[in-house]
Amino acid sequence: MGSGLNRILAVAANTYRETVRERVLYNLVLFAVLMTVSGLLMKQLSIRQDERIIKDLGLAAMEMFGTLIAVFMGVGLVSKEIERRSLYPLLAKPLDRSEFILGRFAGLGFTLLVNVAVMTAGLYLTLAATHAVFDPNLLKAVYTMFLGLLLVVALALLFSALSSSMLAAVGTVILVVAGHFSDIIRNVKQVAPGTPDWLSQGLYYALPNFRNFDLKSRVVHFDPVPGSDLGWITLYAAAYLAVVLGIALTVFRSRDLV
Amino acid sequence: MSLGRWAFVLLVPVVPLVQRQIDARLGVHRAQEEALYLTGKQLRRLAPGFEDLVADLYWLRTVQYYGSQRIWGGGHYQLLAPLIDVVTDLDPRLEIAYRYGAIFLSEKPPVGAGDPQTGVAILEKGVRNNPLNWRLRQDLGFFLFTFLGDTKRGADVLMEAARLPGAPFWLESLAAQILYKGGDRETSRRIWKGMYEQAEEGPMKYNALAHLRYLDALDEAEALTRLVRAYEDRTGRKPDSLEQLRAAGVLRAAPVDPSGKPFVYDREKGTVSIDRKSELWRPLETGGTQ
Repeated sequence: MGSGLNRILAVAANTYRETVRERVLYNLVLFAVLMTVSGLLMKQLSIRQDERIIKDLGLAAMEMFGTLIAVFMGVGLVSKEIERRSLYPLLAKPLDRSEFILGRFAGLGFTLLVNVAVMTAGLYLTLAATHAVFDPNLLKAVYTMFLGLLLVVALALLFSALSSSMLAAVGTVILVVAGHFSDIIRNVKQVAPGTPDWLSQGLYYALPNFRNFDLKSRVVHFDPVPGSDLGWITLYAAAYLAVVLGIALTVFRSRDLV
Repeated sequence: MSLGRWAFVLLVPVVPLVQRQIDARLGVHRAQEEALYLTGKQLRRLAPGFEDLVADLYWLRTVQYYGSQRIWGGGHYQLLAPLIDVVTDLDPRLEIAYRYGAIFLSEKPPVGAGDPQTGVAILEKGVRNNPLNWRLRQDLGFFLFTFLGDTKRGADVLMEAARLPGAPFWLESLAAQILYKGGDRETSRRIWKGMYEQAEEGPMKYNALAHLRYLDALDEAEALTRLVRAYEDRTGRKPDSLEQLRAAGVLRAAPVDPSGKPFVYDREKGTVSIDRKSELWRPLETGGTQ
């Protein structure tokens, strides 16, 4: 058990180093520029809405950068290894396929954690520079956003274990976009009255609902976010992650790599 | 240098010059089409999870549009109402868009679009979307009274605002004052003083201050008219100018309004009024503030 965990951590550490080598964290520079410019300009441009706009901009940028990293790094986690044939020597070692999948997931998850943590610090620094009052509630939105990003990584990993990088990217992007439109899917009958209930409701519950992880508007408007809400969102993420990673493990285990 | 290079060098400045001509001819139409094609509700559907950010971007655009039209646009604000509508559709809780939007729309040109009906409609939308927000309801009451002269509805809405949590205690007495005294200047002064004290630094505060200075100027003009009459009673003739009042020791300070512009004296009628060139001058307002 202990050695299994060590192997997962070793794969995770390697994955993290790989993402750093791929200059993924360069997006932080862009984020820093964005925050600095918005911090300097918003006061003049927005009529006293600078604090709100900096929060909106910071949180949206975190989500967008995080999603891009999760999708485009995630889809290569397994398929690239297969395409480059670097997976075979790894699997020849005493490393279970499930350990490899979980390690890859944990590695990219850690990259995203570092990314989100640095961007959160940047957002707070910008707000402090504009004399905004420290608002710990932003962390709640950041936390649920991170859970959503983990789910994106898991989906990308699943597609990556199933097919090529290109197909995996297409599949993941479709699911992520559909997951953001889940409310529209649920109410599709209002636009297309002929849609059967089982289809709209089935899709609504089957697709990952990324709106669940979106607390940006609530925290920016200073709405209370009770701990129970965070608990349910965490439970949803944990359940969905378990299902997606379970399918990814099963698919990858049964995949003929020869 | 070859002919091709010369042609290139000559053509480079042509591009921005031609673009300026096109903007001058088509720019207004293009912008209006854009605002008509993309409504707030459509934008909400296009940006799930990022509605607030898009609302911010449209708000910045609204502020820039208002500022640029005020300075260079000759007071034409055709896009203002659709833009504010888009912003408040995208984020129905963006209080500032309703409050500032109503001012931008209601004030008379060149300060605003001179369309208080639409300004009031924006505030009504804000009240519908934020039923527990007393500030929006208070502004709606003020605007109904000040810009539309609807004392009954203005007072009713202020009474509703007074009952909401967090509302200042004086709203109820102000509503009663509006209802019973109608549009006297003192009521108007209380309204703008309330707006001034609540507002943070920015256009809303400056606008309230401009109204207060205007009311002060009206008071001063009336006081000067009274001095002219007193002079006439004493000497049997009207003064030739306000300077004559000063020379006679009736008036101590220079007869200028709070913006520093001299008051205008009508010798025929013996009345003093605000100069039309003064930044404080405005046409007769509804609500009886003049």
